[in-house]
Amino acid sequence: MQLKINKLLKQNETYIFLIILALSFLIQIRSGQFYTSNNIVDIMSAMIVPGLFAIGEFLVILSGGIDVSFPALASLTAYATTKMFLDMGYEGSVFLPLIVAVLIGVVLGAINGFFVGYLNLPAMIVTLGTSSVFKGFMQGTLESKQLAVIPTGMKDFGTVAVYTATNAQSGLSSRLPIAFLLFVAVILIAFFVLKYTMFGRGIYAIGGNESAAYNAGFRVKWTKFLLYVFAGIVASIAGIIRVCMMQQCHPTNMLGMEMNIIAGVVLGGTAIVGGRGTMTGCILGTLLIVLVENSMILIGVPVVWKNVFVGLLIVVGTIVSAYQSSHSGIGKGHHKKTEEA
Amino acid sequence: MKNMKKFAALFMVTAMVLVGITGCGSNAEESAPAAEGAAPAEGESAAGEDAAPAAEESAPAAGDYEIVVVPKDSSNPWFVRMDTGVKEYAAETGMNVYQKGTDEIDATKQAQLVQDLIAQGVDAICVVPVDPESLEPVLKQAMDAGIVVIAHEGASLENVNYDIEAFSNSGYGAFIMDNLAEAMGEEGVYTTMVADVTNASHNEWADAGVAWQKEHYPNMTLLEEEPRVESHDNGDTAYNVAKELFKKYPDLKGIMGTSSFDAPGVARAIDELGLVDKAYTSGTGMPGDNAALLKSGTVKSLTLWDPAIAGKAMISLAVKVLDGEEIGAPVDLGVEGYEAMTFREGSSTVLEGEGWIVIDADNVDSFGF
Amino acid sequence: MAEYLFRAVDIRKYFAGVKALDGVTLEIKPGEIHCLAGENGCGKSTLIKIISGVYQRDSGTIEFEGKELHKITPISAIESGIQVIYQDFSIFPNLSVMENLAINSQLVAKKKLVNWKDMRKIAEEAVQRIGFEVDLDARLGDLSVAEKQMVAICRALMFNAKLIIMDEPTTALTKKEVKALFEVILQLKAQNISILFVSHKLDEVFEISERFTVFRSGKLIASGNTVDLNDKKFTYYMTGREFEEKIFEPKNVSEKPILEVKNLCLEGYYSNIDFSVKGGEILGITGLLDSGRTELALSLFGMKPADSGKILIHGEETELKSPQDAIKKGVGFVPEDRLSEGLFLSQSIGDNIIISEIDNLTKGKLVDKKRTEDEIDRWVKELSIATPDANNAASTLSGGNQQRIVLAKWLACQPEILILNGPTVGVDIGSKHDIHAILQSLAGKGMAVIIISDDLPEILENCSRIMILKDGRLSGEFSAAEATEKLILDKMM
Repeated sequence: MQLKINKLLKQNETYIFLIILALSFLIQIRSGQFYTSNNIVDIMSAMIVPGLFAIGEFLVILSGGIDVSFPALASLTAYATTKMFLDMGYEGSVFLPLIVAVLIGVVLGAINGFFVGYLNLPAMIVTLGTSSVFKGFMQGTLESKQLAVIPTGMKDFGTVAVYTATNAQSGLSSRLPIAFLLFVAVILIAFFVLKYTMFGRGIYAIGGNESAAYNAGFRVKWTKFLLYVFAGIVASIAGIIRVCMMQQCHPTNMLGMEMNIIAGVVLGGTAIVGGRGTMTGCILGTLLIVLVENSMILIGVPVVWKNVFVGLLIVVGTIVSAYQSSHSGIGKGHHKKTEEA
Repeated sequence: MKNMKKFAALFMVTAMVLVGITGCGSNAEESAPAAEGAAPAEGESAAGEDAAPAAEESAPAAGDYEIVVVPKDSSNPWFVRMDTGVKEYAAETGMNVYQKGTDEIDATKQAQLVQDLIAQGVDAICVVPVDPESLEPVLKQAMDAGIVVIAHEGASLENVNYDIEAFSNSGYGAFIMDNLAEAMGEEGVYTTMVADVTNASHNEWADAGVAWQKEHYPNMTLLEEEPRVESHDNGDTAYNVAKELFKKYPDLKGIMGTSSFDAPGVARAIDELGLVDKAYTSGTGMPGDNAALLKSGTVKSLTLWDPAIAGKAMISLAVKVLDGEEIGAPVDLGVEGYEAMTFREGSSTVLEGEGWIVIDADNVDSFGF
Repeated sequence: MAEYLFRAVDIRKYFAGVKALDGVTLEIKPGEIHCLAGENGCGKSTLIKIISGVYQRDSGTIEFEGKELHKITPISAIESGIQVIYQDFSIFPNLSVMENLAINSQLVAKKKLVNWKDMRKIAEEAVQRIGFEVDLDARLGDLSVAEKQMVAICRALMFNAKLIIMDEPTTALTKKEVKALFEVILQLKAQNISILFVSHKLDEVFEISERFTVFRSGKLIASGNTVDLNDKKFTYYMTGREFEEKIFEPKNVSEKPILEVKNLCLEGYYSNIDFSVKGGEILGITGLLDSGRTELALSLFGMKPADSGKILIHGEETELKSPQDAIKKGVGFVPEDRLSEGLFLSQSIGDNIIISEIDNLTKGKLVDKKRTEDEIDRWVKELSIATPDANNAASTLSGGNQQRIVLAKWLACQPEILILNGPTVGVDIGSKHDIHAILQSLAGKGMAVIIISDDLPEILENCSRIMILKDGRLSGEFSAAEATEKLILDKMM
C-alpha cells in the first residue's frame, strides 16, 4: 500500500490531477456550476479538438521531436476538404469528408516525416517551415475565405448529440456531439499503439536513446516517418471536427493553438526532450489547459487579467513537473553509484 | 548524407520561396487585372456594364494613382466584401487600386505590410487598423514619405489625413442597442462583447450602446459582474464565453455583440443551451454567413454597414486628397450613405456618415454577399 | 569446429578519404577472452562498428563460424550471434529494466505487438543466466553504472550470443565492480562464449585476456598470446614509443612547507588529518573510493570547506571557503571528472586555457587579443597539446590532450600548490607518461604538487611521499624509498 502511494507521489499525473481537482473546487465555489451535468459535458466537448491535437503532439514529443505545424496542417486540411465537398454539393454523411481529410493528413504529415525522419533535420525548423508552407498554400493557392455553410453531413457530425445533459436547476442543456466518440477512439488507438505495439515502444526507445534504438534494430527513420504521418492524420481529424462543431469553416481560427497544446503536453509530465510521458498525463495536462481557458468567467477573473492567470498556471504547472522530474530524474544513477562505492 | 541534408535544406528553401511567390502572386493577380483590365474597359466601353456610366460620372482626374487598401486580414469575409468594393472601384475608374491584407489578424504583421507599402512608394494607403496605437508610428512614416493615409474604424489615429466612419460610433452603438432591446422586449439583464478590450471602435460602440440603454430602456440592466467580455474575433471563443456567461448568470437575457464573430458565436451557444426565445443577441454580422441563424429565429436581427461601400468611400476620399481638393463638411464621396459626411465633434480628421443597415430574416437574401 | 570462431581479414575503411582502417586483421577462437587494445583513434571502435553492422567495410572479408558474412546489419549481426556492449551500453534510460532486456529479442523475432507477460518472462530468464539480481520494473536510468552494464550483458546473452564484444567496459566502474565484471566474463567463457574485450588499460589486459591484438593508427601492430606480453612491449605496441620509467627524485625542495594541514575534519568524510607539503615535493594521497580522499582534495580547494582544523599556507592560517579563495592563495585544482568540472568541451581549446586567468589579460575592460593569443600559443607548445588549431573545440581532442588543457589552464594562473585528483584517469598511455613528466618538472621548479590517485604504480613512480587514507583517517605514510604496492594495499584495505 505504502509502495503504491509512493509510486503515485512520484508520478506527474498525480500532481496535475490534484491541480485540476483544486481548480474545479475553486470554480465550484465561485460559480456553483462546475459539478453540474451540463458543465461537465461542455468541458468534454471543449476537450475534443485540443485533445486530438495534444495526442499527436504528445507522440511527436515522446520521440524526441516537436511539431509546431499541426494548426496550419489542420487548417489546410479542413479548409480544402470542406471547400471540395461544398463545391461538389455533397449531401452525404461525414464519412467521406473524414476519409479525404485523413488522406490529406497522410500526405502533409509525410512531408514533415520525410524531412525529420529520413533527412534527420531538426524537427523544430522543419515544422516551422512546413507550417508557413501550409498556411501559404491555403491562403495563396487556395485563396481561403471563411465558409459560412458546411455540408449537412459534417454539420450533423459536429452537432447531433450522443448525449444531452440538461441542468434541472437552470434548464440549460449541453450536448456531446458524435465527434466525441471519434476522440475517444483516437485516445484508445493511441494508447494501444503506445503500449502494445513495437511501433509504440519504438517511439519511447527513440525518444530515450536514438542511437541505441538503431543498434537494437528499430527502424528509426521509418518509425519517425510514420509517427509524423500519424500526427498529420490526427491533426486533420481535429481540423475537420472543429469545422463540423463550429458549423462553419474559418481558415485561420486554429492558428496559434500550438503553444498552449505543447504547454498542456509538457504539463502532463511529458519530457520535452522525449522518452518519457504517458497518455494519461497528456490528456490531464490538456484538460487543465482547456479548463483554465474556459473557466475564467466562471471563476470571475476580470477580463484583462485572463492572460496573466492562464500564463501563471502554465508556469506553476511546469515548475511542479520540472521539480518533480528532477528529483526522480536521470542523474540518480550517478548518486547511487557514489553511495555504494 | 551531408550532401543529402544540404540538398534537402535547399529544397525546402526553394519550396518556401515558391509558395511565397504563388502566395504573393495571387495578390498581384488580384490587383493587376483590376488595373490592366480597366484600361481596355475604357476602350470597349466596359462591355456595357453599369460600371461604364459610373466611371464617366466620377471621371478620374489627373492621376493614375496607386492606392492600396489594407484590411485587418485577407480571409475574413468582411474584408473579402471590402475587396469587392475596391475591385469595383478599380474597374469603374481604371486606377491602380487594390487591396492587400495579411494572412491573419495581427497588429505586427499589419504594421510590416504598411512599411512594405511605404517602401514600394504607393500614393495612398487606406487602412483598417488592427491596433491603432501600435500602427501610429508606421503611419507617421507613411505621412512623412508624402503618402496620403486614410483610415477606417480608427478614429483615435493621429497620423492620418482623414478617418472615415460609416457612422458615428455612438450612433451605431445605439442602433445595435435598439435592435437588441427590441428582441429582448426592452427588459432584462444584458452584457456586451468585443473582440478585445483594446479594440477602439468595438468598445466605443459598446459604451454608446450602454449609454443609449440607460437613457431609453430603463427596464434593462447591464450585467454588473461581467460588463464586457472578449471574443478575440474568434467564433469558437464567442461560443464558449457565451456558454460560461449563461451558466454563471441565469438571469442573463441578452448579449450585445460588436465584432462580426460575436453574435453568430453567441447564437450557437443560445441554440445549444436550449435558450432560443429566452435569450437574445444582436450585433454586427454578415448576411451571407448568418442567413440560417436569422431564418431559424435564433437571432432576430443583425446590424451592419457595407464594407464594400466603406472601401470605396476611403479610396474616393484618398483621390480627393491626392487631387488637392478642399475637404469641408458636408463631404460627398459619391457613395450611398457617405454623401453628406460631417466631422466628428471636436475633430478635424474623423468623418462620419450614416451608412448603417439592419439585416433580418426578410432582407437577408437581398444583399448578395 | 574450425580453429577460429571469428575472422576479420584485411579490413579497410575510409571516411571521406581518410583511412580509418588500413587492412587490419582480427581472429578470435571459440571460448577465448581476446583483448583488442590501442590508443584513442587507432580504429578499434571503427572495427567494432563494422562487425556489428553500424558501418559497412570498404574491403576485406569477415567470417563467422566458417561462413563469410557479406553485408552485416545490426539485426543480422545479432541473428548470427554477435553482440556488442557499447561504452554507453546502448540502453534506454527512460524504459524499465524489463523492457530494456526484452525489447531486442522482440525486434529480432519481428514481433509487431507487445506481449508484456512474455517480455517479463524473457527478462527473468535473462537475469537468471548470470544470477544478476535487479528490480525488473525499475527505470533503467535509476540504476548505477555497473548495474546498467549488467543489464546490457544480460541482454546480449539472450540471443545465443557466441561472441560478445565489450567496448571499454571498465571505464566508469570502481575496482570492486571491475572485479565482479571479470567474474561474469569468466562465467561466460565457461559457457563457451568468446569475449572481445576492448581496453587500453594494461593491468586489465593482463588480468583477463588470453590473447591480444593491438592496433595503432588504423594498422595491425601485433597479435599473440598475453603470456608472451609484458608492460614495456605492450606500451610500445600501443604508442610506438619507448618510455623510461623515471622515478621522481625531489630536488629544489623548499625549507619551509608551503602548505600545512592541521587536525582537519569534515563530518562524515574525514577527520584529524595532519600533513604538510614543501615546495618541490610531490605528495601522493591514496585510499579507496570512500576513504575521503576526494573530499579532502575538495576541501583544500575550497569546494567542500572543512568543519574544523587549520590550513596554513606559507605558515599563515588561511580560510578556504570557496574556489575563489583558494585561487587567490595560489592553489590550483585539476578535478577528477574533467569533462563536467574542468573543461568547456564545446568551447575552443584556447578559451579553455585562458579562462582562469582572463582577468589578467585585459586592456581596460576588454580582453587583450594579442596577449591572449600569445598566452595560448605558449601553453599549446609547452604542454605539446596535439591540435592543428587552438580554435578547435576542446571536444575534438583525445582524453590525454584534454587533460593537458586542464593542466595548462591552471598553470597559466601560476599556482604554488597544485592538487590533482586522478590526473590520468581515462588517459591513454602515451599522454599518461607525458603528464607525469610535466608534473615532475613542475615540482622540480619548486611547486608543491599533491596527486590523489588509486593508481598505485602512478603514485609510486611520481611521489616523494605517500599518504594513505582509510575510512576518513590517515592510516599510513611512507617515503618513496620505503613504499611498495603491497605495503600500501595493506594500509588501504
